[in-house]
Amino acid sequence: MNSIRDKVAVIGVGCTKFGDLYDSTYEDQVCDAAFQAYADAKIDPSEIDAAYIGTYLPHSQGGKAGISLADPLRMYDRPVTRVENFCATGTDAFRNACLAIASGQHDIVLVVGSEKLKDRPGRGIPRIGHQILAKGNTAPGLFALAANRYMHEYGVGRSTLAKVAVKNHWNGARNKLSHLRMEVTEEQVLNAPMIAWPFGLFDCCPTTDGGAAAIVCRADIAKRFRDDYALVKGAALAVATGRPYFDPTFDYVGFRSTQAAAKKAYEQAGIQASDVDLAEVHDCFTWTEITNIEDLGFAEKGQGWKMVEEGRTRVDGDMPINPSGGLKSFGHPIGASGVRMIYECVQQLRGNCGERQVKDPEIALAHNVGGPGAVSCVVVLGRQDS
Amino acid sequence: MAETTYKKPVPRIDEETRGYWEACRRHELVLQRCGKCRTLRYYPRAVCPECLSDEVRWERMRGRGTVYTFTVTYQNQAPGFRDELPYVLAYVTLDEGPQMLTNVVGCKPDEVEIGMPVEVTFEDVSDEIAIPRFKPVAS
Repeated sequence: MNSIRDKVAVIGVGCTKFGDLYDSTYEDQVCDAAFQAYADAKIDPSEIDAAYIGTYLPHSQGGKAGISLADPLRMYDRPVTRVENFCATGTDAFRNACLAIASGQHDIVLVVGSEKLKDRPGRGIPRIGHQILAKGNTAPGLFALAANRYMHEYGVGRSTLAKVAVKNHWNGARNKLSHLRMEVTEEQVLNAPMIAWPFGLFDCCPTTDGGAAAIVCRADIAKRFRDDYALVKGAALAVATGRPYFDPTFDYVGFRSTQAAAKKAYEQAGIQASDVDLAEVHDCFTWTEITNIEDLGFAEKGQGWKMVEEGRTRVDGDMPINPSGGLKSFGHPIGASGVRMIYECVQQLRGNCGERQVKDPEIALAHNVGGPGAVSCVVVLGRQDS
Repeated sequence: MAETTYKKPVPRIDEETRGYWEACRRHELVLQRCGKCRTLRYYPRAVCPECLSDEVRWERMRGRGTVYTFTVTYQNQAPGFRDELPYVLAYVTLDEGPQMLTNVVGCKPDEVEIGMPVEVTFEDVSDEIAIPRFKPVAS
């Protein structure tokens, strides 16, 4: 099978401020992100052949279908597809755009992720109870079950989890677009109110409003738009069971969907995990970042927490993780998060990230996992000369 | 028996789950065993997830197991759950093998440990429905 490698280029990206955006609508976020990406690519919107819109939870203002992008951007008579795939919504929308280019069907495709989690009735994410399975399982609770088992098996304490939060808040505090733009100390994280043991408040990402956009095109025409475009090296999606707690092979110390998606993405890219220079990974909770480090192959299973302890995942470490601030500090508007990661990877590859710039990266990776563990998407980007 | 104050979602019985809930009402924990490949499964479903057979037999469990992992939930604003914070959400491995997402009750949340032996207990929430949960095995 042909690989997607080097067939698709990212020529423009945009990202709104993330946060409690009570003064802007779902459609404002779509427009803000898309017009930033148009300006970044120096492209006229009429040149866009097709678009994908990633939204997890439709809002009264939009998010349910292609019109959620077509109406605010007046992008009519062209194909616009809404993508929803749990927390992998944004990266999967991007992946679909890449496939549309690689198939030869389209030359230039717009991807937007937009999510309004704040000003909606019953603020936040509603929990829909299953007749038998509903036992008061919250999103933090489901990840906490895995975290607790991991900590039991590998002898890890809450202070290691806290170091993930401290690191990501340090990065996010230096990012003008991030939601929780402040540093925190390990002591603050450990003393915060408990949400679902072992997660306290600062072990959890916030619920956030925001939008992000990317424009991809055929790699052979990318030079028309810019010299420093990024190349898509791999884009892989893997789906496992939506009820991992009833998968007899599921040991609760890692996510096989991430392992499968990463393996496929590395194959496509012709690289190994050790070739990745920075990764934007799905740190919905502090422990999730640790398992992601392992599931993506940056460390053996049960060893990822040591990279955190040794400071290797900081911007100046040998395996920088979430230089943007991650979901933890940048925020997590679900459908937008994956596209926001593409935005960060591209800015890092261009060398635009100031104090939190990773030194001279050539390969960047974006990763979402949702479900928990049900679905994972991994995108590998490379510098134009990589 | 029927508590009008029960605020959590009360399960509806359907044809796939009738045997499970009827046993719960008798305070018995039953799981399905596939009549063809013999796989014991939870939760109740019409078709075996391993071999797709619809031959089903209900089999009574001993009602004992161990805590594989758990979390103590301190924040949940859903009706009913809000009133019981903090509560324990756990993944219990039955002695017979299958694992259940459940609650551990009958002890303080900070007394729950991974590996702890537990046994089933039933909460009667309506004339038809009793919900299985787990409590520490009396020593």
